[in-house]
Amino acid sequence: MTQITYIEASGQTTTIDLAEGWSLMQGATTHGVDGIIGECGGSCACATCHCYVDEARLGDLPPPSEGELAMLENVASERRPNSRLACQLKASTALEGLVVHLPETQE
Amino acid sequence: MFSFDPYSPAVDADPFPSYKRLRDEHPCFWSPEAQMWILSRYADIVSAGQDWQTYSSASGNLMTELPGRAGATLGSSDPPKHDRLRGLIQHAFMKRNLLALEEPIRAVAQEVFGQLQGATTFDFKDVSSQFTVKVLMAALGLPMGDEALVPEQEVRENAVLMVQSDARTRAKGPEHIAAYNWMQDYAGRVIAMRRAEPRNDLISHFALAEIDGDRLDDREVLLTTTTLIMAGVESLGGFMMMFAYNLASFDEARRAVVANPALLPDAIEESLRFNTSAQRFRRRLMKDVTLHGQTMKEGDFVCLAYGSGNRDERQYPNPDVYNITRKPRGHLGFGGGVHACLGTAIARLAVKIAFEEFHKVVPDYRRVADQLPWMPSSTFRSPLVLELTTA
Repeated sequence: MTQITYIEASGQTTTIDLAEGWSLMQGATTHGVDGIIGECGGSCACATCHCYVDEARLGDLPPPSEGELAMLENVASERRPNSRLACQLKASTALEGLVVHLPETQE
Repeated sequence: MFSFDPYSPAVDADPFPSYKRLRDEHPCFWSPEAQMWILSRYADIVSAGQDWQTYSSASGNLMTELPGRAGATLGSSDPPKHDRLRGLIQHAFMKRNLLALEEPIRAVAQEVFGQLQGATTFDFKDVSSQFTVKVLMAALGLPMGDEALVPEQEVRENAVLMVQSDARTRAKGPEHIAAYNWMQDYAGRVIAMRRAEPRNDLISHFALAEIDGDRLDDREVLLTTTTLIMAGVESLGGFMMMFAYNLASFDEARRAVVANPALLPDAIEESLRFNTSAQRFRRRLMKDVTLHGQTMKEGDFVCLAYGSGNRDERQYPNPDVYNITRKPRGHLGFGGGVHACLGTAIARLAVKIAFEEFHKVVPDYRRVADQLPWMPSSTFRSPLVLELTTA
C-alpha cells in the first residue's frame, strides 16, 4: 500500500492507501475524489485526470511518456511544469506519501 | 461441483448468480470448459488491467479469438506497439473532437426513431441497429449514400455474427468465420478506396499514417479497421439493447429519465456498471502469478470478468440493484487501464442522443416477453431481440 494525498481546488483533502500498481486516477475515482474524472478509463486518452505533483517529489516519478506529454497539451486548466496525468502514475514505494493538487476544472 | 462455462447458454442468459459464487468462493477459478482462469473480483480485475506487463493482450483479447487477429489490433497488442497504434486513432475519439458529430448523430436519431411514430409493438433491435451503423459510418468515414459499397444492414449483421461463438464446439463456427472474412474484405475495400482518394476521415488518415517514416503494415491497417467496425457496431448496438432492456424493465428509472432527460448520462453509467454488454475479455500471463492461494502459470489464459467486477459488493453496495442515482465511478463497463475502450466518449454521446430522441417518440414502453433470446458469445452479452410495447 502507498499513501497518497489529494488536495482538491476547494481545499478538500483526501488521503488514501493505494494498492501497488493501481493508478492515482483509479485511487481517486474509487475513493470519491471528485476533482479527477478519468473519463477514458485510464488509457491516456482524455486529459481529465490532470494533477499537479508536489514539486519536491517530481524526481521520484517516472518521466512522462510521449503519449502523456501529447495528452497534457489537452488539459482544461493551466498546464504547469509539475502537471501530470494521474492515470499514468502508479502506486509504488517510490511514491509513498505523495501529495497531488487537483486543478479547478478537468473539462 | 461448481463450474463456470462461458460458452453455456445459461451464462449467456444470466451470468450473475455464477459470478457471485465465483467472487465469494472461487475468486481465482480454473474453468476447464474455457481452458482459462477466471478473475471475478473488482480489485483483482483492476490490478490485472493495470499490469499489462504480466497480463498480456498480445495473444488476443477476445475470449474466443478470431484467426490471425491477435497482435495486429489495438486491443490485442501490448505497449509500446499498442501505444503507437492508439496514438494514430485516439485523437478522433476525444470528446472535444466529437462535437462536430453531435448534429449529424441527432439527425440520424430523429430519422431512425421517427419511424416508430404510432407503433405500438416493435423490436428495439430494428431501430438500434439502423442507428448504430449510420453513426459508425459517419464517425469512421465509411462510404455512405451513393458511394456505399454494401447495404448498411449487412455491416450490422456481420459485425454481430463475428463476435459470437458456438456453444457446442466452444469455438468460432463456420458462419462466424465467414462473417469475420466478410468484414475484412469490406474493410480492405474501404481502405483501398480511401488510399486512392483520401478524404478527411479517420480511415483515410489511418490508412496513410506513417510512424517514424514507416507506413503501418497492411495487416495492422486491415485488422484494426475491421475491429473498429466490429467493436463500434456490435458494442454500441449491444449496449443500446442493454440500456433499453434496463429502462423497459425498471419502470421508476424509465419514468425518471423520460421526465428529465438530463438524468440520462447517470442512467447510462449505471447501465455500464449493472450489465455492460462487454462482459469478459482475456489476457495471457507472462509469468507465474499466485492469487488467493492458486498459482497461475506463465502462458495460461486469464479471463477478466468485467461484468462480475461491476457487481462486486466489495466495491459497490447493493450491486444487484439498478440505481440511476448511484454514479458508479471507476466501473469496468468500458474495461480499464491501457486497453480501456477507445470509444467511451462517442458511445456516451450517441446513446444519450439516441434515447433523448427515442423518448420523444416513445415516452412509455415495457417488455413484451419475460424470457429473451440471448446472443451466444463468450465475450459479449445482449439480447438478439427486444420486443417492446407501448400498450
